[in-house]
Amino acid sequence: MYQSSIQEALRSLKEVDICTKEDFLNALRANFVSGDLEWAQFPQLFEQYWTSVIQGQDQGPTQDKEDVGSGTGESAEAKVDKWMEGAGEQGQETDQGMEQAWVKRVGYSPVSPIEKVDVGKFDKEDIAVAQLALKRIMSTFKTAKSRRMRRSPQRRSVMDFPRIVRKSLKYGGIPMELFYREKRKRLKRLVILADVSGSMERYARFVIPFLLGLRGVGPRAEVFVFSTSLAHVTSIVRHLPVEKALAQMVKCLPEWSGGTRIGYSLHQFNQNYGPGLLSRRTVVVILSDGWDLGAKELLRREMAHMGSKAYCVIWLNPLAGDPAFQPICQGMQVVLPYVDYFLPANSLESLKRVGHVLSKIMVH
Amino acid sequence: MAADFHSIDQVMEKMADARYIADRALATVLFLAHRLEKPIFLEGEPGVGKTEVAIVMAKLFDTELIRLQCYEGLDATTALYEWNYPKQLLYIRLQEKEKRSKDEIEKILFSSQFLIRRPLLEAIVRADERAPVLLIDEIDRSDEEFEAFLLEVLSDFQITIPEIGTIRAKNKPMVVVTSNRTRDVHDALKRRCLYHWIDYPSFEKEYKIIMTKLPGIDAKFAEQVARFMQRLRQEDLLKRPGVSETLDWARALMEMQKDYLEEAVVMETLGCILKYQEDIRKFKEEIWQDEEKRAVYIS
Repeated sequence: MYQSSIQEALRSLKEVDICTKEDFLNALRANFVSGDLEWAQFPQLFEQYWTSVIQGQDQGPTQDKEDVGSGTGESAEAKVDKWMEGAGEQGQETDQGMEQAWVKRVGYSPVSPIEKVDVGKFDKEDIAVAQLALKRIMSTFKTAKSRRMRRSPQRRSVMDFPRIVRKSLKYGGIPMELFYREKRKRLKRLVILADVSGSMERYARFVIPFLLGLRGVGPRAEVFVFSTSLAHVTSIVRHLPVEKALAQMVKCLPEWSGGTRIGYSLHQFNQNYGPGLLSRRTVVVILSDGWDLGAKELLRREMAHMGSKAYCVIWLNPLAGDPAFQPICQGMQVVLPYVDYFLPANSLESLKRVGHVLSKIMVH
Repeated sequence: MAADFHSIDQVMEKMADARYIADRALATVLFLAHRLEKPIFLEGEPGVGKTEVAIVMAKLFDTELIRLQCYEGLDATTALYEWNYPKQLLYIRLQEKEKRSKDEIEKILFSSQFLIRRPLLEAIVRADERAPVLLIDEIDRSDEEFEAFLLEVLSDFQITIPEIGTIRAKNKPMVVVTSNRTRDVHDALKRRCLYHWIDYPSFEKEYKIIMTKLPGIDAKFAEQVARFMQRLRQEDLLKRPGVSETLDWARALMEMQKDYLEEAVVMETLGCILKYQEDIRKFKEEIWQDEEKRAVYIS
């Protein structure tokens, strides 16, 4: 909350009848809230505050907020720890049992024994590497042109009328010298959807730097995480320091490292963010192993929708790093027809490769 | 000014007179926006009546509505002002014969008569006589650069044109910014505005809206339509229909001389409320096949 909002709120309160509870609430809400989630939470916090005041045990609204925010009993920090330890706990019974069985059957291990030891740790260097790789990926999509213009020496695109008129003055209004402008090139928008469900725990070493690495990529990247539902975490990734960002992200998603419902999560994305984010200038990167226990038909439908709206859909699958890998799981089979590029991604090394491959494919 | 808001109740009444059903929260925000001269930031799903708020406000204040539709790549020349180049060129040719000096010509050339006013400048210039309502529609479609630029304009309602100077609004226009929340609009912009989230209407509200917007409609029929739409929004659809779809549909049904919902008619006019092939198929196959569900929908 900003100092200025408090001042503005006080100004607002002067205008309304503060003896009417509803008006008091509405006036405060209009000033303090800046999103639909907060909008829905506000009345509850408001009530809570007054209840605690009346009971004479005012604990301050900040503490109340914490309770509402986290929702579950487990603290966010504990969840982070658990997630980061993920791969170590082999016996862990999750609802991803199917996936683990498969991994055992083909004898596939996505991480080398050495990496396995410190899979929970990632350092700032990893983030820097991820940043470089992501910037590289972004640079391949620089071909989208903006409507903004810049001066151009070449005779193409459109004429620069302001300059022509100015310069024509000295020839008595005859446009003797012609000047041109061309459309500025700009980045395409990058949308990242990262699977942070239980089955992805073992790739934490890769996923986390990947997400946090986005902070350096520029304003046109949007980040979402999903497990059984979807959360928009762009502002967290962009504004908070690494440690806080991770804890805050976990708080946003109630089912962090729980089950997976890719179809439903994509549905949420398409419905809530699709109209604004999906366009011919958007590159969607989905980072998931494709183990979906949710509805197959829904997944197919949402992928089809996304594929038809976005410029290109890239699926990064950690499992695909193994040469013996076949996209046999149902989720993966369903989505393959709608994916433009299906690439392996199980380490930062492979991400660098992804960037390299893409730059070759995209630049003609 | 034709209207002046004195109380929240009065805002609600006036809105109702203008055929807009506003709940108390929205009325409070509008009242405060008017009293404090702050912009309003309206968010909500498509088709819940965000744009309509601005239109109604313009009607209430008996003033002009100036609309800026945002899109990706929107820039200053389309939002603010542009010079009328063909006219300038012609003028130079004409003046050349009169042997005027270059400085003299340039002075006239870059004066307001050669200026094409775009919505933002128009709103500021018009505000001299009577503050207009400035609607900045679907801000989430524009890009971040434009947002930053808008911030500057909204904070002090002045525009600097290098050739002419600074133009400042004498009265502050009433600004309504809408967003479909497809991307996060920057906090700095939201902070300068009063925020309001418009949700899908409740059954009672939707019924009231139908009754006010379509005066000729049968009350029972309106109730049926409202109930149908409430149910439909609970389904898992790609695009849930908004109030504008409800009104379109009711209007279409009235045109077809219907005064009650029946199964065949719903099928025929499904295109009014569902706009995606996938949704229509889903509705036909999963909902309408089921006799029980059908009965619930048309109750």
